[in-house]
Amino acid sequence: MTTRTRETMKLKPHWSSIFENGTGARLYPYLMVMPAILIAIGVVVYPVVSGISSAFFDVTLRTLNSGNMPFVGMRNFEKVFADPNFVRASINTLIWVVLNVVAQLGLGLALALLLHRIVPGIGFFRSGMLVPWVVPSVVAVLTWRWMYDPSVGVANEILVRLGVINDYHPWLGDTATALYAVTVESIWKGTPFVMLLLLAALQLVPKSILEAASMDGASGWRKLWYVIMPQIRVSFAIAAVLTFILTVNNFNAIWLMTEGGPLSSSEILFTLAYKYGFQRFDLGMASAVATMLFVGLVIATTVYLKLIQAKEAD
Amino acid sequence: MSTYPMTDEIGRARSSPQLKRRLMPKSVRMALLYVGLWCAFIWCVFPFYWMIATSLRPKEEMFARPPSLVPQSITLQNYVDLLVGAEFWRFALNSLILTASVTIISVLLAVTAGYAMARHRFRGSVALPLFMLYGQMFPPVLLLIPFYIQLRFLGWLDSLYGLIPVYLSYMLPLCVWLMRGFFAQVPHSLEDAARMDGCTRWQAFWRVILPMARPGIVAVATWVMIHTWNEFLYASTFILSDKNRTLPLGLSGLIGQYTTDWGMLMAGGVLTAAPILLIFFFLQKHLVAGVGGGAVKG
Repeated sequence: MTTRTRETMKLKPHWSSIFENGTGARLYPYLMVMPAILIAIGVVVYPVVSGISSAFFDVTLRTLNSGNMPFVGMRNFEKVFADPNFVRASINTLIWVVLNVVAQLGLGLALALLLHRIVPGIGFFRSGMLVPWVVPSVVAVLTWRWMYDPSVGVANEILVRLGVINDYHPWLGDTATALYAVTVESIWKGTPFVMLLLLAALQLVPKSILEAASMDGASGWRKLWYVIMPQIRVSFAIAAVLTFILTVNNFNAIWLMTEGGPLSSSEILFTLAYKYGFQRFDLGMASAVATMLFVGLVIATTVYLKLIQAKEAD
Repeated sequence: MSTYPMTDEIGRARSSPQLKRRLMPKSVRMALLYVGLWCAFIWCVFPFYWMIATSLRPKEEMFARPPSLVPQSITLQNYVDLLVGAEFWRFALNSLILTASVTIISVLLAVTAGYAMARHRFRGSVALPLFMLYGQMFPPVLLLIPFYIQLRFLGWLDSLYGLIPVYLSYMLPLCVWLMRGFFAQVPHSLEDAARMDGCTRWQAFWRVILPMARPGIVAVATWVMIHTWNEFLYASTFILSDKNRTLPLGLSGLIGQYTTDWGMLMAGGVLTAAPILLIFFFLQKHLVAGVGGGAVKG
């Protein structure tokens, strides 16, 4: 066997045989990783560093054109904190994130439990419930905007027929309802993904445990809380973190339905940073908000993952 | 699965499990299950149905009040209006070019990197994959500003090729991470066999492992395609002129300040969503496994 191998190698030397031993062999993995790493440094690491640093410089169209961007320390942050819209956007972000995460996890779990059973026609239901996840987000948002139309929107018509409201309501045009109307779309769009993650986890729960619980007479709710939840805890936490990140970064829904309006009533930090950057063209202020968002995301994610690991260790 | 917490019953049920079974006969539970399934199904699918229904309505029915749930007459006029103009084709072509380039570049780069991270031990072989995973958590709004400054500096604003590095920033890390997962699943023995037969390490990778990992590569490539096809934020910020718009951007441009042709817009939505839906339902198993695997391992 060995002799044959040597012969073939001698017969057909391939350019890649320089990676077989010596320096070539040591460099081989680095060479394979290199292109991706170089690009990643160029398009991820460098922009992140430069994005954070531009929060401390005066970057506007004027300074960009002159090429001279003075260092201003914390002044961008001071300007942001002094803006009443920032306070508004922070509160809205909190509402937006809490509502989205709670509703998506709750509904996602409910859907996963519904779809978990193998009953006739379950494939049909499972495919149908993935529709919101698969539809491109811009298309979904525009469809909802059309459904919310104040004069002929079908959402109004359905709610009137169900007796929830008496007359058509401009859901996206009213400062009291705009944020919540967008939240409904976002929940609709995000829940199937959570459902998918939890469904995969549910299918790994051993049947024997559930049967044992039923034999002991546990009711549905108790089974869910004391038997199923501990089993799918890790997936649940991962779904929560992912939903959190996706919600904070969900720009399309708010931008294409209300652009943060009316009167900043649906402004979140993401859209505020976007407006600072690309409507006021004060890129320094935009970077300041983006940096705060970034720090918040990193802290929240890390803390949460640590908590889960600690729980795991028990 | 009973739906109500019946506290009194729990106590009794504890002592005799059979009693609880009788409280909620199987047929009732099944009926409840199907009611739940249908409610959820309608909630999930209705907006999609409404988009299609709107796109098939004639213009005069569009603004009828109250709107009828089923179109009274069906017409393809909205699609004709949309496709007769050159604009839609142009947007579609732009999207296609962009999607193809981003997919090819990121898959080529991710294949070797993912493989090396899965199989070789080297300095950083533990830290790099984690970095890749964190790489996609960076908020796009933070990257948006430096990208804008850079593209402006390079004169690449308002161009399709300027968008390629931008898209790589959020596709490549995920791509490498997923690819690494797929390569880790290909058994080591195959590689060993190839090496025994005289393949060099590169040949073993190129000729044996790569074809084995093809389902994984297809799944990753499809993910990149779907995300690039749907991307809106970067495109809307960096593309300024009409002729360079991508499909999602073109669609959002159909919203007028005062009036919007919703029939045409929804027709455009159907046509934008169609390729994604087709790809998805053909490759459903692979894709779902991919996202599950990638996310759960994190």
